[in-house]
Amino acid sequence: MSEWLQQAIAHADSIQDGFAEQRSASLALLKDTKWPNRKTEAWKYTPLRAVERSSAVIKEDSPELMPQSVLGADFLELTFVDGQLVALPDELPDGLTITMQESSIFATIKPERHLFGLVNDVLASDIVIVTVAEGVQVEQPIRINNLLSSGAQAHIRTVVELKPKSSLAVVETSEAHGNTLATAFTEYLVGAEAKLEHYRFALQTDDNVAVGGSHFKLLEKAVLNSSIIGFGSQLQRIDTDIIHAGEKADAKLNAIYLLDGQELFDLHATVEHEVPNCTTEENIRGIAADRSRAVFNGRIHIHRDAQKTLAELNNRNLLLSDKAEINTKPELEIYADDVRCAHGATIAEIDKKALYYLQTRGVSKSQAQLMLSFGFINELIDQMPNAELAEWVRPIIRDRFAQMEVK
Amino acid sequence: MTEQIDKALAREYEAGFVSAVESETFEPGLNEDVIRRISEVKGEPEWMLEWRLKAFRVWQEMEEPNWAHVDYEKVDFQAISYYSAPKSMKDKPKSLDEVDPELLRTYEKLGIPLVEQQMLAGVAVDAVFDSVSVVTTFREKLEEAGVIFCPISEAVHKYPELLKKYLGSVVPTKDNFFAALNCAVFTDGSFVYIPKGVRCPMELSTYFRINEQNTGQFERTLIIADEGSHVSYLEGCTAPQRDENQLHAAVVELVALDDAEIKYSTVQNWYPGDEEGKGGIYNFVTKRGICHTNAKISWTQVETGSSVTWKYPSCVLKGDNSIGEFYSVALTRGRQQADTGTKMIHIGKNTKSTIISKGISAGKSNNSYRGLVRMNPGAQGARNFTQCDSLLIGDQCGAHTFPYVESRNPSAIVEHEATTSKVSDDQMFLCQQRGIDPEKAVSMIVNGFCKEVFKELPMEFAVEAGKLLEISLEGSVG
Repeated sequence: MSEWLQQAIAHADSIQDGFAEQRSASLALLKDTKWPNRKTEAWKYTPLRAVERSSAVIKEDSPELMPQSVLGADFLELTFVDGQLVALPDELPDGLTITMQESSIFATIKPERHLFGLVNDVLASDIVIVTVAEGVQVEQPIRINNLLSSGAQAHIRTVVELKPKSSLAVVETSEAHGNTLATAFTEYLVGAEAKLEHYRFALQTDDNVAVGGSHFKLLEKAVLNSSIIGFGSQLQRIDTDIIHAGEKADAKLNAIYLLDGQELFDLHATVEHEVPNCTTEENIRGIAADRSRAVFNGRIHIHRDAQKTLAELNNRNLLLSDKAEINTKPELEIYADDVRCAHGATIAEIDKKALYYLQTRGVSKSQAQLMLSFGFINELIDQMPNAELAEWVRPIIRDRFAQMEVK
Repeated sequence: MTEQIDKALAREYEAGFVSAVESETFEPGLNEDVIRRISEVKGEPEWMLEWRLKAFRVWQEMEEPNWAHVDYEKVDFQAISYYSAPKSMKDKPKSLDEVDPELLRTYEKLGIPLVEQQMLAGVAVDAVFDSVSVVTTFREKLEEAGVIFCPISEAVHKYPELLKKYLGSVVPTKDNFFAALNCAVFTDGSFVYIPKGVRCPMELSTYFRINEQNTGQFERTLIIADEGSHVSYLEGCTAPQRDENQLHAAVVELVALDDAEIKYSTVQNWYPGDEEGKGGIYNFVTKRGICHTNAKISWTQVETGSSVTWKYPSCVLKGDNSIGEFYSVALTRGRQQADTGTKMIHIGKNTKSTIISKGISAGKSNNSYRGLVRMNPGAQGARNFTQCDSLLIGDQCGAHTFPYVESRNPSAIVEHEATTSKVSDDQMFLCQQRGIDPEKAVSMIVNGFCKEVFKELPMEFAVEAGKLLEISLEGSVG
């Protein structure tokens, strides 16, 4: 066990709530889990030095921090500061409940053995349970905002349950100041015929170290539409697992990563097709500039019974600098025969002909590069179901491109 | 349908007979003394023994890899005999007439004609039986062209300079667990040297046969194509049908110097074990080639045998403008497990690689493609295209793809594609509607699926490969 882990879990005893049983089970597993190294497949390209060296600590009192970004007036805000829940919406729409009581879903959807998932099980102090009652369509999106003050280490956990035929949109965001470390995990149970719209924006850069995940279990005819946008930081790792546990469920995942400087971003997306007749579509686009490093691992696992599955994964990457690096690994593991599965991955630079074309039209080279890079990912932003969020994120991405040192 | 599949899978392994050849076999076990004895039997010079012992010490420190998607009973390295040779080989036969007729009959039965007069196409064969090379045909004709084609044990004596320079230069001793073991205990294999500017006048081929019980086969092949030369090399393998698992841990090293071209084709048909997965060969092989400027290495493999396959023929594209190719058909059935693929390491500028992999899984087998494409920072303008297709026959098998794609040069272009499907009902319907019976239809569809790879094989091999697939697929669809 690493020194960092030992220090971190020393805090475990101080938390008293209804999750004690699961916590102690996770702690036992954690003590039994090896600290990853270069030979650990899931961490092959992502060294954990940044975690090991992090001086961020769990703070007793949270300072007053105000969120800097405002998504829209009608968002239901759940605000965490340094891991503690500080603000809940004043009023909740009918059929939507938010509690901190125990939950039977907690720690059942994320993968059992994920090291930082276990750390989060043990250390998340304010576990929030969001439930949408059967048949209720919640119009206002929920925003889970994770604010971190300089030097803070925080572990936040949210469990979201959509009862049958309900619908909800959830936006996960975070804002970090200076040297911070966070694990933010969210588990979603999407009931029969329920619809979940999901966004995860990991837009903090620099010294922030973040390891987290969004994990989904879809029951019969459930629909998931998830969009992930990430900028790199000292270490930014997101795991997402989509489990098809009910027939005719449909999942769509769009992800974008834009890296600059010495940033590192690692996205691990796993789709488990446990039952027949489900569909999955994944579109992942990435751009790496300067000295940055992008890692993508996309695994699709079709279980023995999951006949008539349709699953597709497409990963396209632009490499903008000869010091940057992209590592991608799309995986298929298939045990059923009557399925249609495909994946594709490409890594290349900006199309020289397109660049030339724009230059002949009087567009400067750097402007042309910006246009083409933006066009490369804009398609996925256009597909975001919530237009308001798309409008919110677009200028942030434009600024990002403007900063990116394009050759 | 299941009945038909079972019937087809229970088909006999045609090469499963045992030859009654009297052999001299070492007691099972592995230690420095055994290595000294192997070296002594071969009458090797001191440097060779040192090299082996160094490798053995490295191997002792290593752990058996377990990352592959295969599950097998671990090998007891002390239960294997590391040397077995037909007794009749003790006084080395000078020509074919002196070779034990039983040995010749074995190869005849396998369809490998060693008697030169009977050969049609003129393929020079090096036949390796257990631990020794039995005979190498057409040597004189090759010598006229300046081509060296002989058992590696002979090359140790005759061409020590070439060996010292190139042996272990592509697959170093420390490369991996099985390669290190091979370095320590390899007994024979083929050595090929094509001089500058020579186009080898005929196809070269090695045929590997494991006969003796409780032995492992550890052969080593080294092919050096000097500047501007060209060679096409074929490799085939079989083993008797036995209940125990036998280990085959070979190393193949290819060196293509400037402007040279090496084409390496394999039809691997080791005994795959019975339908319950009992017996069969563990095929844990390291194959790698290095391409210098403008050189080209092309690997083509048809894998139908072995109970467990762990094999990644790779290309290190070191020189500018060099080309690496990998064409593979891997068919698994019964309880076979294959984890196979390639590595393309792009180092030089404008290097190109193509990977076409076709996996067919039937019965209760598992078939995985595992590959790595790496664009190093210096690989300016490099290009890779990878296509991995899997075909599933029956709902008890598995088909998997694990490609690693790493790029550190923006001007390099990497493309990877993979698909998985079954033999479609539409295709079957169309064929049957035209009066083609279902079995024939499946065979046709599978052949079409593999066409891109088959067309890369030399003619004789393409015929054999097609036949092998047809037999393996017999009755697999009802």
